[in-house]
Formats: sequence, C-alpha cells, structure tokens
Amino acid sequence: MRWEDATRWMGTMVLLGVASLSILAVLFIFYFIAKEAIPFFAVRGFREFFTSPEWYPSGHPPRFGTAAILYGSALVTLGAIVVAVPIGLSAAICLSDLLPFAVRQAAKPIVELLAAIPSVAYGFFALVVLAPLLQTRGGLLFRTVVWAIGAPVGAILALMLSQTISLRFPARWQRGAGLVLLAGLGLAAWALLRSLAGRAGQLTVESGTNALNASLILGIMALPTVVSVAEDALQAAGREIREGSYALGATRSETLLRVVLPASLSGLAAAVILGVMRAVGETMVVWMASGNAAQIPRPWYNVLSPVRTLTATIAGDMGEADHVTGSERYAVLFAMALTLLVFSLLCNLVGEWLVRRSHRRWSGG
Amino acid sequence: MNWKTIGTATTVAALLASGKTNAQEKIVIDGSTTVGPIAKAFAEYYMERNPGVAISVSESGSGNGAKSLINGACHIATMSRAMKENELAAAKEKGVTPMAHVVAMDGIALIVHPSNPVQGLTLEQVRNIYKGLVTNWKELGGPDRPIVVISRDTNSGTYETFEELVMKKEKMSEKTEYVGSNGAIRQRVLTTPAAIGYVGLAFMEGVKALTINGVEPSAETVVAGTYPVARPLFMYTNGKPEGHVAAFLGLKDTKDGHRLIEEIGFVPLRPKVAEMPKTP
Amino acid sequence: MRSFSSRHLLDHAFSGLSYLSIGFMVAALLVILGPIAIRGIGAYCFRGTIEFRLFVLERFHRGSAERIGEELQVARRAREPLYEAMRAFEADLENDPALRRKLGGDYRQFQTAVRELLGPLPWDPAPLLMRQQYGQTRWDRALIKQRKALYREEWDYSDPSRMGVQVWRPRRVHYQGTRLEPAFDQLEHRLAEMLRPRWTFYGRFLTDPSFDAHFFGGIWAEVLGTLCLTLGAMLFGVPVGLLSAIYLAEYATEGRLMHLLRIFINTLSGVPSIVFGLFGMAFFIHTLGVTDSKSVLAGSLTLALLILPTLIRASEEAIRAVPAAYREAAFSLGASRWHTVTTVILPAALPGILTGTVISLGRAAGETAPIIFTAAVSLGEPLAWRRLLTMPTPALPWNLYNLSTEHAAVDEIRHVQYGMALTLVALVLALNLAAILLRARVSRKLRG
Repeated sequence: MRWEDATRWMGTMVLLGVASLSILAVLFIFYFIAKEAIPFFAVRGFREFFTSPEWYPSGHPPRFGTAAILYGSALVTLGAIVVAVPIGLSAAICLSDLLPFAVRQAAKPIVELLAAIPSVAYGFFALVVLAPLLQTRGGLLFRTVVWAIGAPVGAILALMLSQTISLRFPARWQRGAGLVLLAGLGLAAWALLRSLAGRAGQLTVESGTNALNASLILGIMALPTVVSVAEDALQAAGREIREGSYALGATRSETLLRVVLPASLSGLAAAVILGVMRAVGETMVVWMASGNAAQIPRPWYNVLSPVRTLTATIAGDMGEADHVTGSERYAVLFAMALTLLVFSLLCNLVGEWLVRRSHRRWSGG
Repeated sequence: MNWKTIGTATTVAALLASGKTNAQEKIVIDGSTTVGPIAKAFAEYYMERNPGVAISVSESGSGNGAKSLINGACHIATMSRAMKENELAAAKEKGVTPMAHVVAMDGIALIVHPSNPVQGLTLEQVRNIYKGLVTNWKELGGPDRPIVVISRDTNSGTYETFEELVMKKEKMSEKTEYVGSNGAIRQRVLTTPAAIGYVGLAFMEGVKALTINGVEPSAETVVAGTYPVARPLFMYTNGKPEGHVAAFLGLKDTKDGHRLIEEIGFVPLRPKVAEMPKTP
Repeated sequence: MRSFSSRHLLDHAFSGLSYLSIGFMVAALLVILGPIAIRGIGAYCFRGTIEFRLFVLERFHRGSAERIGEELQVARRAREPLYEAMRAFEADLENDPALRRKLGGDYRQFQTAVRELLGPLPWDPAPLLMRQQYGQTRWDRALIKQRKALYREEWDYSDPSRMGVQVWRPRRVHYQGTRLEPAFDQLEHRLAEMLRPRWTFYGRFLTDPSFDAHFFGGIWAEVLGTLCLTLGAMLFGVPVGLLSAIYLAEYATEGRLMHLLRIFINTLSGVPSIVFGLFGMAFFIHTLGVTDSKSVLAGSLTLALLILPTLIRASEEAIRAVPAAYREAAFSLGASRWHTVTTVILPAALPGILTGTVISLGRAAGETAPIIFTAAVSLGEPLAWRRLLTMPTPALPWNLYNLSTEHAAVDEIRHVQYGMALTLVALVLALNLAAILLRARVSRKLRG
C-alpha cells in the first residue's frame, strides 16, 4: 500500500515538474534577457536609450538612442491596427451574427488560412510584389483605394443623411426632398472623393519599403487574431440580450451597435490589444519591407518614409554585436529585447484579463 | 548546479544519439556577405572533390564571423575588413590567435540605377550624400528627385570599410535605409530609380557603377591602386590551419581558385598583386 | 419597399460592410497567395531547354544519355553558323585594331550574352563556376538573354528634368558589313532550334540538392532541414506539452498553483518570436552549450519552446472534452488514475491532441526568427544521418529570406525563391488543412 501511494505521489510530482517547465521557461527567458540587458542600463542609463533618436551603434563615440526605433515600431503597429481593427471587427460581427451557420463554418477556414501563412511568405510578398508596385504604381494604387473605400461609404452616408433630413419635411414633400437631398449629397461626396483621389494619385512613393508597406501586411497578419478574439467576445455576450433587443423591435444593426457591442467591449478591447501584440512582435515582414531607416518621419504621420522597428534591429544587428568585445552593442540588443518582452507581456496579461472579464460577465446567465 | 555539467550531459546524450563525427570532416564558415560567394563557390568545389567533408556557410556579417571565430563556433571567419583592436584583444583573452589570409582584392563601387544620368562623383560628394547634406539629384546635375540613400547594416565589413574610407568616420544621415547584404543593395538599386548604394565588385551586374574621382571601379583599377575605395578580403583562422581547412584555404592560390574568384567578379591575388601598396 | 426607412438602410449598410470585410480577407488571401502559387508552380513546371536536360544528365544521371546526346548534336548543328560568324569576326578583331577600337567593347557584351544563353563557346576554356558551364536552362530566361544579345540597352539622358529613358537599340546596326552580321539572324530566328525547349515537369525540384548557390538543382537541403527542425520540435515539445496538459486537466486541483501555471503558460505564448531566438542562442548555445555553434538540436529546442503553449492548450482542451462518463466508468472498475488516463482518456482525446499538434507543427515549420541564431545557415550539405543533430542546416523560411535579399543574383533565381515560397506555404497549409479536417471529424463524432 505505501509503495503504491509513494509511486502515485512521485508520478504526480513528475507530472507537476514537467508542467512547471513552462514556468521555468518563462523565468529563464526573463532572466537571460535581463541578465544581458541590465549591464547596458547600468552603464548607459535609461535616458539616452528611451529619448534619443540617434542610433549609431558603431559610431565614434557610439550612440544607442532607440527613440526613433521605438517610434518606428509604434507607427507600424498603429498602421496595422488601423487596417486590422475595422475590417476585423466587421468580419467578426459578420461571422457571429450575420452569416448562417453553414457559411460560417466555411468562412472560418479563410481566417485560419490567413493565420497559417508563414511570416516570411508575407515578407517575401511585401518585398517582391508590393514594394515595386508601390514604387511604380503608387499613385494609381492610392487613387483606387480612395475610390474603393470612399464610394460605398459615401453612398451609404448620402442615403442615410438624405433620409434622416427628409423626415423633417412635411409628409407630402418627403420623397421629393429625399431625392433632391440624395442628389445633392451624392454630388458633394463625389466631388470630395475626386479631389481626394486626385491628391492621392499625385503622391509618389520613392521607396517601396516603407512604413505603409509594413503596416498593410502586418494588418493582414493581425486580422485573424482580431477576428477570432472579437468573435469570441461577441459570442460570449450571449443570445439573451440579442433576443431581448429583437423583441423590442430593434433591427439587426441597432441590436449590434447599441446592445451587443457595448456588452462585449472588454472582449473587443482584448482583441485590439492582442492584435497590437501580434504586430509588435513580428520580425520578418518588417525586416524585409520597412526600409530600416532609424528616423522619425517628417511629418510624424508620413507613412511613405522608411522606418526601423525593434524586432528588425535585433535581427539585423546581432551579427556585429560580440558579447565579448563590443559588449555595449550586444547588451543594447538585449535591452531592446527586454523592452519588447515587457511590452508584449503587458499586452498579453491585459488582453487575457479583459477576455476573462468579458466571459465572466455574461456567463452568469 | 553547474551549467556546464548539464550542458555536457545533454551534449553527450545528443552526441551518443547522433554519433560524433571527426572534427576534421566538418568545416563551419561564417561571416561576410561580400566574401560569401567566394566561400560558397570554394565550398562546392571542395566538397565535390572531397565527398566526406561537410562545409556549411553562413553569411551574417563580418562582425559575426569574427565573433564566431573567437567563440570557437566556426573554423573560418570570412571578413571584408581586418579584425579590429578590440576583437584581437578578445581573441587573445580566449586563447584564440586569429591568422589572416587575404583571399582576394575588392573595390567598393557606388551604384545607381541605370536610368540615372549622373556618371560620376567625387569622394566628397558621396560623403555629403550619405551625410544627408545633399538630398536631391538635381544638386548633382541630375533630375529633380530626392535621393534614396541605401547602406549596409552596421554588422557589415563593407559598411565599416565604407565608413572608414569614404565617410571618414562621420555619421550617416538618419534617412539612410539599411539592408543586410550586397545582394540586397543591388536589388534595391535595381528597382528604385532614385537610389544610390555601395557594393563589392562582384555585385555590379545590371546596375550603373559611378566613377569616383574620375576612376571607374574594376579589377584593373583595383589592381593598379587608382580606385580610391579598395580593400582586401580576408579569411581568418584560429592559428595555422591544418588538414581540410588548410587545403580549403589553399584553394585561393591555385589556378582554379583564381578562376573561380575572377568568375565571381573579384580580383584574385596573383604574385604581383600581393605587392600592391596598402590602401590609406 | 415603400418607406426607405433609414433604420433599415443602416441595417443593410451594416450587413453590406461586414460582408465586404469578409470579401476583403478573401481578396487578401488571393492577392498574397496568387503570385506565390502561380510563379511557384513555374519552378516545378516550365519550358526547359537542352541545357537543362544536359545538366540533369551530367549531375543527377537521370535521363537517356542516347537521346540527349542526339538532341545535343542537333542543337550544336543549329548553333554552328552562329559560332562560325563569331569565330570569323574574332579573327577580324585580332587583325584590325581600328575595328577593335570601334566594336571591341560592344562585341564583348555580345559574347557574354551568347555565353549566358548557350553556354561556353566551343573555343573557350572550361569554366569552373557551374553557372558558366551551362547555357540557360529555362526558356523564359533564355528569351530575356536573347534580348540582351540582340539589343543594346541604352539610356536616353537627353531630358535633364527626368530620369533617363530606357531604349533598346538593335545591335546589328553597328555590325553591318562585318562578318558577324549573319549571327544576328541566326540568334533571332533559330534560338528554339539551338536550345530545343520542351515543357518539363521538374518534380524533383523538391528532392534535388542545389548547385552553385541555387542556380541549378532543387531545394532538398532546405526541405530536409525544415522537416528535421519540425520533427525535432515535435520530439521535444509533444511529450512536455502532453504531460503538462494531463497534469492540468486530470491531476491539478483548482487553486493558486494551477492559476499560476496558467498565467505562465499564457505568458509564454506572448513572447515575441525573435526573443525566443535570442534566448535560444543565449541559453542553449552559449550557456548550456548543447552544441558549440548553430545546430538542429538548438533550433529544435527553441522551436519546441515556441509551440509549447499551443500544444498544452490544445491537448488540455481535448482531454477536458472527453465526457466525464468515461472517467467515472473507469474509476468504478477500479482503475488507477494514471491507468485511466493512458488507456481511456488519451485514446479518446487523441484526435483533438493530433489537431493541436499538427497546427503547432505548421507554425514551427514556418517560423524564421527562432532559427536565425540557433540553426540556420545559407549554404550547407543536406543533413546526413550521422550528423543530424549537431550540424546547422538550411531551412525553407530562412533561405527564402536569404535568397530574396542577400543572394548575389537575386533576379536570376527568382523562380527558385517562388518555388521555395510555394513549397513552404503548401507544406504549412497542408498541415493546417489536415488539422481542420481532423477537427471536423472530431466534432462530428462528438455530436453524432
């Protein structure tokens, strides 16, 4: 009997040991990255690292200011979010509320396929197809995008506005007023779009490897994350509130906009944060397609200029950094890795907490 | 708990599983992307004639090659610059004696897109371009296009040589784009009409090489010493090489080796070349 | 519809927008995979010339030596007039310094182009670099080189406000009256006879090693490297992941320890891949010294760490999904917990575990950042059994990056890059497809 108890206890301990390898792994990762990074901060302090935009690691004297690089990471991530969140959110809404079950099962693989494509394949596409395209036909591309997004949005807005305003007219003239307003607003929208497209078409892209290129591709890469987490959140809101809203006579979009979305806000916030985490941690796409210029673009929102990100710097500069001789160069890369690690972990923790909150809120019936 | 004990135990287990091979039958080469094509060509040539030897070539930059040699992670470090003082000191600390073997001579050519009307520049003008003082081609007699300045990443020996010989250690403009290899610079310049970059002699196919101070970059001008931006290409070993490593390195002095180097586009070291004065 | 209520309009607009976003994702998928698929297939299926068949015969000893010999004779006969003209002209150049001054440089360009097109000239010494020992192996590239031979690329810089304009001028204009003139007709009209292109299915692109820095041959070293790294990751990751999942699902009690475990597993999944790479280098290679430099072992360990969280999560879900009835039935029969797990739970959860494993394998195969510092090299022999774990290796993701950015002649081997991209994407997508199908089967089984 005792022997069996002992073996059972040992077995459980072995399993626990194996399971805690994950804990060990995280602790080791933190330890080893911090071990190499701390000496850098001890010698050079925090101020230069975080606030100076001058990145000259092999200069005389060397300068290790990563402000421009942090900005590059931030700009590219912001661009990725601008692409991924609207599209991802709409797709999640579509998947959770609009599509019939069978179509939904067919659409989910599309999201998974996007997630499965290796990042180097995305980077290859960005470098070999998108960058030359931006350089040779950048203006045309921008014009097309302005029209492609502007036309449906403008038409919808014009329709809605004309309807809403015409309601204020007495009943007899409503239809006439509506049509006139529609024509007027439509014309205005069209004129606006034309001038926008004209200005966009004149933009020349001197260098196809820039923040825009990287942001676009990163946005597409972050889409699956945003879509799945957002869809989870929307589902977690539950059928009850939806049914209640429909029972009160709301249309589908009103239910979604006024009831479901606010209810799943924390889950949606998690989707955004996890999307940010995905975009920040990506290496190959930015290494190949962002240009790697450690500068803060002028003006700050000029996505057509090349930028440099944390991940690309770590990957690219590791060669020269010798952990015996140029110890500062080696250590600064670990310092960057530490920054990246801390940021990603924060995003992860906050995201997971938000997800759990959204589940907890609505699982209580 | 000694890390090394764990490490050794794991290594022993792994090696028992995989079967340890004779160190002589494996040559690990690491380092410069400039010397990379030579290393690769030599490797294929050598492996074809010595089937038992496995040679692997990494191209992560001259600095990485030096580091690998010092840490004992590679047998041959290819570098497109000489080892620096601190690298030599670190090597001494670790008991490694780096021995330099000059494999070929190379020049650094300034390349632009063939559609660029500019034919040549002075060294001073090149420096100003890379410093960011000259930002538009029209300032140099070309059309009104902003210059896209492309440089090698700082882990590169080509970069270091460029910094020393052309930039005279001054800082590059922050707008400079960095790419990871000679091939990448060539690719960018080939596809970007307003770009300028610098590569080794073997990478000039399809792009236009500018004359510097009136001298065209070519094997002849490098040998003659008239091209201002020339440098030797090195392979470093730990002490005197033996066995397969020695034979591999010896390729650079054979006729076949010379032809391989020439076919790639660099300048092989023929006896009269060896007497060339060192570049300032 | 009589009343176009704006509420309903908004509703329709909303739905429309959502469908548009799904459409955008489909479009993105097609736009990104399209070129990779189409041009990647071009690496496997293309019009190959006699030079290609010759190469395959000489290096891989495949193909009928007789037939290729015959074809070679026919091709050589077709090239004879061209070579004669060149020989005659070269003799003229030797004897006439004025001619040399006028046309020497241009003729050298023409000569190089012909060499690239048809291989070394009959009177050339045998070149050493393999890419110079054969002419063009692909018909599409041969056409490009033909243009280079027949036309001189000139740039018209006359407009000082714009970049130069590319102008192709026929070379023959300069050679009128010389003995080279007939060569141009030959080159222009009889190229197909000189090279004898034929639709070739080069399935062995996948399994042939590469020659001369990927100018020739296939991508076997990279494929094998990826397979080894992935299998290695599975070898190290699956036991740890499975045992951890078993612990979490069956043995652990809800409490602080389990909460802690979950937090850490989540944290591990949030680590960026490049940090894994740095850690792998700093820990496995520098500190532990599992190998003294890059190796498959270090790479596999790093990749195993990367996929561990996914494995644990998927396995745990699968184990928890097994109905309680199974467990209770086993316990009531007197089985111990471990016995239950191994004989009842695991077999029932196997499809789910497999699904998770396969998806993780797909991820491990496609990751680059973890192997940059731990395992990947640009050129190396395909792994041999004896040295499997201790050698570094080329791998599909890393070499795709390397070939498309660092290679000396990126535009010459574009088809190889696309072929690699296609192979990698196909491998990963096949794995994911298998997982999706598995999952569909599992959910059908559980529901039915």
